[in-house]
Amino acid sequence: MTEAGGQRLEARFGILSCWRDGARRVTGAPSIVFGVWALSLLLALPLGVVLRGLIRDSLGSSLAADAAAEGVNYDWWNEFLQATGGIGTTFVPSIIGFAAPLRNLSDVMDNVPLAATLTSVVVAWLVVWALIAGGVFDRYARARTTHTPAFFAACGVFFFRFLRLGAIAAFAYWLLFRFVHGWLFVSVYPRWTRDLPVERDAFFIRLGLYLVFAALLALVNIVIDYAKVRAVVEDRRSMIGAIAAGARFVARHPRAAVGLYVLNTLVFVAVLVAYRLAAPGAEWRGPGMWVAFAIAQAYIVARVWAKLVFAASQIALFQSRLAHAGYAALPEQRALEPPIVEALGPAPAPPPRV
Amino acid sequence: MIERLLVSGGVILAVAAPVAQEAAPGALSPRNASYTIAARLDPARRTIDGTERIAWRNITASATGELQFHLYWNAWRDTRSSWMRERLLAGGRDLADRPPQDRASMDISSIAVNGTTLPFTYIAPGDGNTDDRTVIRVALPAAVPPGGAADIRVTWRAHVPRTYARTGAIADYFFLAQWFPKLGVLQDTGWNCHQFHAATEFFSDFGTYDVSLTVPDGWIVGATGREQSRKANGDGTATHRYRQDDVHDFAWTTSPDYVEFRQTFRHATLPAVEMRLLLQPEHKGQEQRHFDATIAALRYYGEWYGAYPYGHVTVIDPAWQSGAGGMEYPTLFTAGSRWMAPRGVASPEGVTVHEAGHQFWYGIVANNEFEHAWLDEGFNTFSTARAIEQAFTPNYLAERYFGGFVPWVFRDIAISRATDGNRLGGYRSAARMDAQITPTFRYWPPTAGAITYNKTATWLHTLERLLGWDTLQTIMTTYFQRWAFRHPTPEDFFAVANEVSGRDLTWFFDEAVRGSHVFDYGIQLLRSEHDRERDRHDTVVAVRRYGEAIFPVDVLVTFEDGSTARERWDGRDRWTMYRYTRAAKAKQAVVDPDRVLLLDLNYTNNSRTLVPRAGEASRKWMLTWVAWAQDLLMTYGFFV
Repeated sequence: MTEAGGQRLEARFGILSCWRDGARRVTGAPSIVFGVWALSLLLALPLGVVLRGLIRDSLGSSLAADAAAEGVNYDWWNEFLQATGGIGTTFVPSIIGFAAPLRNLSDVMDNVPLAATLTSVVVAWLVVWALIAGGVFDRYARARTTHTPAFFAACGVFFFRFLRLGAIAAFAYWLLFRFVHGWLFVSVYPRWTRDLPVERDAFFIRLGLYLVFAALLALVNIVIDYAKVRAVVEDRRSMIGAIAAGARFVARHPRAAVGLYVLNTLVFVAVLVAYRLAAPGAEWRGPGMWVAFAIAQAYIVARVWAKLVFAASQIALFQSRLAHAGYAALPEQRALEPPIVEALGPAPAPPPRV
Repeated sequence: MIERLLVSGGVILAVAAPVAQEAAPGALSPRNASYTIAARLDPARRTIDGTERIAWRNITASATGELQFHLYWNAWRDTRSSWMRERLLAGGRDLADRPPQDRASMDISSIAVNGTTLPFTYIAPGDGNTDDRTVIRVALPAAVPPGGAADIRVTWRAHVPRTYARTGAIADYFFLAQWFPKLGVLQDTGWNCHQFHAATEFFSDFGTYDVSLTVPDGWIVGATGREQSRKANGDGTATHRYRQDDVHDFAWTTSPDYVEFRQTFRHATLPAVEMRLLLQPEHKGQEQRHFDATIAALRYYGEWYGAYPYGHVTVIDPAWQSGAGGMEYPTLFTAGSRWMAPRGVASPEGVTVHEAGHQFWYGIVANNEFEHAWLDEGFNTFSTARAIEQAFTPNYLAERYFGGFVPWVFRDIAISRATDGNRLGGYRSAARMDAQITPTFRYWPPTAGAITYNKTATWLHTLERLLGWDTLQTIMTTYFQRWAFRHPTPEDFFAVANEVSGRDLTWFFDEAVRGSHVFDYGIQLLRSEHDRERDRHDTVVAVRRYGEAIFPVDVLVTFEDGSTARERWDGRDRWTMYRYTRAAKAKQAVVDPDRVLLLDLNYTNNSRTLVPRAGEASRKWMLTWVAWAQDLLMTYGFFV
């Protein structure tokens, strides 16, 4: 094996080991995975309850409910969609099984505006992420238990920093969706396909444009990711500085950073493929509906896990290159001692070891 | 009116007696407007230069001192035509904003009648729009009496547009319809020659078309009729001559890219039909799907209504983005498929069956599509749904993602004939927009399709459920055979329906066709209480007519011991009530339990149960929706 080949091999193993390290850190803190999952559930549930009311009112005491409970009552569904408004308009067949992630990904890639009734929930979700991201990153950076008070203390420390970072990121994404997406898909795509009589060719052109756009999204995403990593690990206060540092890191370790990104993307794809195979249809009824819900929730948990591994493995990569595992500049936050401890005075020093 | 029905082996040879006296021996139709056309296509300039000779005969009881012609392509000349104005009402801004080179034109160089060149003027018989140039009038020096004839010669040049209304070109793909100056229809009441409207199609007389088409040598041509000859001209072009008797239109297509397939439709009691398929290369592998769908149409329409009489049909698979898909012309139609066309989803089958079916409703029974488009579109939508149910069940819902390219099949959602096949959903939103009997060109453009296609299919299916298929089929067959190669009106169909069913169905046609009332019956109340003194259950069922339209309905009450009570209500009052005293408690009540009245806009309220499962159903769908919403959050989570 040549020297260059050996370096490539090392780099590859480096990526793999970082990913494994990240996966270990995430799996070692299951409360974060389940906490994030629970947050997604809590945010989605209220609107779900509203929708449930609309559906229940529509079905009333009719026999249409029987068919809707047993499977899909498509006739009733069409009637419902004809009459409903607000959140009811999002109740479309695309919510069933694997069509759900397919449609969501498709809508993002095609820049389909979010339903107005969902905007507040999505914004809340993004803010919640900004709120907890500091604690999550801090926990994974330390790679050991930090306990709840320290977790939330880190959340507090980084909340406004990540909010600022989020605003910069949002601006970058907005530029991409507002101008680049528009240019690619509203200007270039129609121009390139205007006189094209072959659908297959048009599809591949569109696929190519998706890849270009996805690459640009990923570029912003990876820089922002490492900005977060550096902000937490190095306790940076300037988010502009963190972005610059994140970009520098990606530029100096392009193969590792991009390789890890690709690996994590493949893991996400694997999760999607698994859900494609296991996704529940509409045939689940009675207590079975809870089984179907559990399968869907297992998929959401897997997506949360994959997303967190994404972050944790990037932290692991950064620490393997510019710091040491478990290093975080921010001092570990401790919960305030209860007043009784103060009254009793400091604890006596432990006896020296012999 | 005397009729001569010559039905042999299912082949219809029916023509009206007065016409038969004039028509050629063996003719299926009056053949009073026959065209001999020579046209040359210049693909680079996208122009057609043509000459036509029309042998026209006045088959009405009145003399005429003028001729009227359609110049359809002038509808797409500018934004001032009636077609464009109506299209804008329906939201067709993109079509109006096209650059000049993408628009069309049809310019007459000369018109000569019986050897005399005559001037012409543009007229606007429908809406008085003086900017519309889709109809011309030619005053004759001498009137043509009943039974008289005229020899008409026209030369013209047309510019082929980027496709409007299934007509036009993209790259080297050309689909050319309504492409020649075409005579209107002279009726006893005068000329019926409407301007081109956005929500309507066409109307013309039957004849023989003998058409020579000059295109680049090596390009494949598909056209109405059979190819008679093909001659290389030595200048890089070739002339293809097509001929067809007993049709009322002629369309054609040419492209160097088509892949050609042929099969023959064979049936125990129907005549064989040669099927020619011109397929896009990217759809190779789908040829059998196109043939199977065409076979389904030829078979079921043939068995139900009458045989396809021409012996050949050409199926065109249009180029992507050509906008030419899903349109019917005599002995030729355009289907429509996608590169990724999943199995279990009736596409391309649905559109193929529909357009093949138009060979019957439109091609053979040639109603006036300007005024009563529903007589063919609606009848055909109904028939399509029935044929699809016979041949392509199950048929699942599919949606497309990622720019509309990537299909996803919902195996949980089977498309039903009764509702989706008849397109009840589309009708529901447009139910009150127009009375169906309104002339089609006067329909509110955005909802014209829903009334024309969907409502008709739904009420025909309702009629099937009311009368039974055997009776409805006899009605349709009789109507088909009686009016084959002629121009029926709605009243002609109503008369046949009354005659064949032996019932006066005027009340139904008044509600469904002549009016715009909506049907909606429902169970307003179901109560079943235990009478302790008698140890019996007193059950009360209140049924209500929420809509204005009236239809007799059954009411079925089911009790917990499995017994039932079925009532017949004439449906006239606003409500009615039924009371029962039985040992068993009531379980559920349904009005129109067999769903005869498919036109009922709200079927959910047709039933009530004392053990409702709305809670379970709503919980199940809430959970499904919540999982989707969480996935949405996770997807947006990419950005944080």
